[in-house]
Amino acid sequence: MKHYIIRRVGYSLLSLFLLSLTIFLFVRVTGDPASLLVEPGASQADIDSLRHQFGLDEPMWVQYWLFVRSFFTGDLGQSFYYRVPVLDLYFERLPNSLLLAAVAMAMSLVIGIPSGVLAAVRVGGFWDSAGKLFTLLGLSLPSFFIGLLLILIFTVTLGWLPSSGSGTIAHLLMPAFTLGWYFAAAHMRLTRSSMLEVLGSEYVKLARLKGLPEALVIGKHAFKNALIPVITLAGINLVVMINVAVVVETVFAWPGIGRLLYEGVTFRDFPVVQTVVVIGGSMIILVNLLVDILYALIDPRIRLES
Amino acid sequence: MLRKTESGSPSRLSRRDVMALSALGIVALGQRTAMAAGADGQLTWAVHVSLAPTWFDPAETPGIITPFMLLYALHDAMVKPMPDKAAAPCLAESWKMAPDGLSYQFTVRAGAKFHNGEPVTAEDVKFSFERYRGTSAAMMKERVKAVETPDARTVNFVLKEPWPDFLTFYSSASGAGWIVPKKYVEKVGDEAFKKAPIGAGPYKFVSFTPGVELVFEAFDDYWRKPPTVKRLVFKVIPEEATRLAALTRGEVDIAYSIRGELAEQLRKTPGLTLKAVVIQGPYWIYFADQWDPKSPWHDQRVREAVRVAIDHKAISEALTLGFSPITNSIIPENFEFFWKPPPAVYDPKKAKELLAAAGFRSGFDAGDYYCDSSYSNVAEAVINYLQEAGIRVKMRPLERAAFYAGYSQKKLKNLIQGASGAFGNAATRLAAFAVKGGAYAYGNYPEIDELYAKQEAELDVAKRTELLHRAQQYIHEHSVYAPIWQLAFLNAHGKRVGESGLGLIKGHAYSAPYEDVTIKK
Repeated sequence: MKHYIIRRVGYSLLSLFLLSLTIFLFVRVTGDPASLLVEPGASQADIDSLRHQFGLDEPMWVQYWLFVRSFFTGDLGQSFYYRVPVLDLYFERLPNSLLLAAVAMAMSLVIGIPSGVLAAVRVGGFWDSAGKLFTLLGLSLPSFFIGLLLILIFTVTLGWLPSSGSGTIAHLLMPAFTLGWYFAAAHMRLTRSSMLEVLGSEYVKLARLKGLPEALVIGKHAFKNALIPVITLAGINLVVMINVAVVVETVFAWPGIGRLLYEGVTFRDFPVVQTVVVIGGSMIILVNLLVDILYALIDPRIRLES
Repeated sequence: MLRKTESGSPSRLSRRDVMALSALGIVALGQRTAMAAGADGQLTWAVHVSLAPTWFDPAETPGIITPFMLLYALHDAMVKPMPDKAAAPCLAESWKMAPDGLSYQFTVRAGAKFHNGEPVTAEDVKFSFERYRGTSAAMMKERVKAVETPDARTVNFVLKEPWPDFLTFYSSASGAGWIVPKKYVEKVGDEAFKKAPIGAGPYKFVSFTPGVELVFEAFDDYWRKPPTVKRLVFKVIPEEATRLAALTRGEVDIAYSIRGELAEQLRKTPGLTLKAVVIQGPYWIYFADQWDPKSPWHDQRVREAVRVAIDHKAISEALTLGFSPITNSIIPENFEFFWKPPPAVYDPKKAKELLAAAGFRSGFDAGDYYCDSSYSNVAEAVINYLQEAGIRVKMRPLERAAFYAGYSQKKLKNLIQGASGAFGNAATRLAAFAVKGGAYAYGNYPEIDELYAKQEAELDVAKRTELLHRAQQYIHEHSVYAPIWQLAFLNAHGKRVGESGLGLIKGHAYSAPYEDVTIKK
């Protein structure tokens, strides 16, 4: 077990290193941020002065070393655009992203799981078809389209909800639904397939043969087991929701990490993009590491095989 | 619960509506959201960019116009562009240049105060200049030998050599002339200053939530006049359609940057007013290969054909509802020393004749047309007109940073759709785009270089104006460039707004001066 954990931690550190290197190189491929912080037509001297200020005139390897070192010292540098410490920006936005992700996740589970169960129980029926349509739309409609459609209906036409911003529950509803729909669709699909698999299993057949009421068979015996993969997926999705709600947060001017990333990319704010991606990536690597370790604890075959 | 019908009158929701929305759990909310713009004495802006705390500090003003959106509220400058003048006396009551051009003396306005009640003094002016580390800092400090403060209200800027553009840079092209309180900054430090800035402008800082909103409150002791609107709120709404929705619903009073079809929609919406502001950003086509005798662009007739082949007005109508003026120049019309050229002509027949005279009776394959991809809609329109005249080009849109890097490194060829929003005056623009060695000049004409060199040493404004006019005239007559338009920035306001401040200051994209902004009675 000890060797297994050490190996997994090693893989995680390697993943983190590769992630940091990739994002470091990728942001620099996109171009020079100095040219975006001056008006078109600014003199070369002005551009050079900004490049010097940001340390972009240093050799690449020096810049990478400073970037890696910053993670160990906890000082991730200053945003080129905001000129304030990147970590301050990150932690200012994190609570908003956590709130949005939590509500969107709750919506996605409340909608996705019951409809998935219903679709599995009534395979080929109306609810199954309705569920398929819901899934199809949720997975295929781009979130900016859903967001703008909601604004058109609930803000412009009905005047019920504010178009953007944060602060009240009314501000949260449209972005949470827009973000949650996609994941509700994913949760619904998984619940449906998982339920169908469980409903076809021997122990469910036995429960039915014993004459248990159908509600008890579904609710107690099938549903509990079918829920395990959905909850695992939901856990990973929650991390994803926190970090990738870029479009939703931009459409609704929701001040979360996704918008910070969008601003970072827009202004080629390297420290912001690097920090958001590496912290987001670290969360996913950490969750995967914990899941790996938990699986190994639960199932000895996993650690023996590896 | 009410909604508006097509006729605008409120009607009850149908049962189907209620059922559909109940399913989404929205009706259960049972409340209308508070309207931000409802409070008396408050105006709310929907801004298109994220506001950066660095913009609260004039010392860090970069080379873009956006920070001036906030500087005009929070701070004040010795001399700055105002509705009546490009260089209006503000914290400086007056100024004068020494006859030898080697020094400028400013008199600080009596009674001007910072938000903490302390008077603005000569020491603050000196401190603010020395502290300035924005885009033009190196160049300004290289040319200024010393800043002297013989008394509390007198400041002398001593130059190393006569510099006719000193006032241009001090008043509008940098943040060096925007004054911060020396004692307060020294006491709290730079970082704390950005968190709780104090200035001498018409509005005081109240709160800032990064990425969300910024709140200012009126400073009643502002020297020019007390502001009439009590509170200003700037909300960041990056998505254009959301800004328009917020304006339509009355969540905000003024919205920046509403373009294209949304602007058309806005114009049709009752109660909303479209306000176009012409910024200091002309667009043009540059003939990068005109100095190569083998290139078709070497022939002035071919360059002229491009100029007359484009229907500038139609492009402006289609893309900016006709608000982008056809100035026919690469120099913004609000710039000092601007020479007004004859109006642009659209004459496709003449374009073909010129091409035929140059030996291209059937037109020609003219190669690449480079542009900043965010303005590829302008390029598409231009290319269509060129195509009609027989000038067949391929559009090469490049991402903005790559485009300007390629442009300044002189890597682009053939035709370049350029633009500039940089600060300065006609001389600074010529230096960058038309004079030998200019950052964006792919070649030079000795006549322009000579006129430019003469004006650089000329302290007499009238003579300098004449030299710069002649240089611009040369560019026009020799079709060094084919100007397209001067870009208009489309904004809008709702019905509560009396004076929006939009367009009061020429070339300024945002509301200003804020003390002139009013709410309708």
